[in-house]
Amino acid sequence: MTQDLAGADLQSAPVKLWDLPVRLVHWSFVALVPALWISAEKGKLDLHVTLGLVMLGLVAFRLLWGLVGSSTARFSGFLRGPAAIRAHLAGNASPVAGHNPLGALSVIALLGLLAAQVTLGLFSQDTDAVSSGPLNFLVSWDTGKAASQAHEIGFVLIQALVVLHVAAIVWYRLKKRENLVTPMITGRKRLAAGIAAPRIAPWWLALLCAAVAAALAVWVAWGLPPWGMQFPWDRPPAAAQMNAADYM
Amino acid sequence: MNIFKLAAISSLILPATAMVALAAGPNPAFKARHDNFEKMGKATKGVFDELKKPAPDVKLIQTNSKVIAGAAVKVKGHFPKGTGPEAGVKTEALPVIWERNADFNAAADKLVAASKGFQAAAATGDLAKIGQAAGALGGSCKNCHDTFRKPRS
Repeated sequence: MTQDLAGADLQSAPVKLWDLPVRLVHWSFVALVPALWISAEKGKLDLHVTLGLVMLGLVAFRLLWGLVGSSTARFSGFLRGPAAIRAHLAGNASPVAGHNPLGALSVIALLGLLAAQVTLGLFSQDTDAVSSGPLNFLVSWDTGKAASQAHEIGFVLIQALVVLHVAAIVWYRLKKRENLVTPMITGRKRLAAGIAAPRIAPWWLALLCAAVAAALAVWVAWGLPPWGMQFPWDRPPAAAQMNAADYM
Repeated sequence: MNIFKLAAISSLILPATAMVALAAGPNPAFKARHDNFEKMGKATKGVFDELKKPAPDVKLIQTNSKVIAGAAVKVKGHFPKGTGPEAGVKTEALPVIWERNADFNAAADKLVAASKGFQAAAATGDLAKIGQAAGALGGSCKNCHDTFRKPRS
């Protein structure tokens, strides 16, 4: 039997810990968060909205996957009560495959913040409300302003959590001698002895969830037809041609 | 302290504080300008929001078109000399407004014309005409913002 760097007994062969959808979503977040930041800072609000809608699809997918996905992706698989968190902090919890009880809080906080941030962005508006989120037309000027302010605060919170997230990874690497990054890339890890391998959900279920999430993102991008805006093909030419870039 | 002393002291202090407050506070032109643009922005949002809906409220568009036209005529007068960034007040107005004042005034005139055109189109109640005139109105906003307003980056 082999041992990890910290001396714990490891199983002889690595197993699939994180499925492909979890890893794709994770690294998309890593790329999208800075891209959203830069596009907003540079005033490229059309691009920011487009990227934000992609983010909406990804977050929606991850939330669905948290309900029906692989065992290490499911909220019910990693969300634990305060007692489990205390045991983990005290160092007398048995090892788990996937998120530990404390890390689970970080996952939920980050996902929840991203979901809130995306939702606020939909209703946000720029200085003159011409460049605005795809659902800003459904709310008043003052609500749109409030959403924009909350959207800015939301990003500060996301930045703080990202720093915490990366600091935890570095701490695990240096102090606990555990590499968390490679398994998130390859998906595979040698688990501690005695832990059952995660149950990986079938690929077609991921495709189904992705289709639902993508449909949601498109529906939001279109302005919630038929109740909000009309479907793009039903809009009168004048309204269809109106484009923020033409009158900003 | 008798009432006369009090009156004498306040007669000295009150105008002095008022003068200090005026000297320290920004030129009221900044606030008037900001409020006018915000009013126009709110009304414009009202118009474009309606035009996105399946059944736009034409009455609301007409009301907003009057607000926009009323605010548009004030724009030119809201940029007296000394109300640019050099005043040390947070503003998105660029110095080029005063450097190329004739161009700025022409852009402001274009806004006035477009807002009147939009008001007329709104009065007809014809959504196709309203949509077209809204495009022209939006174009006149952009026309000025491109050159004379601080970019977002």
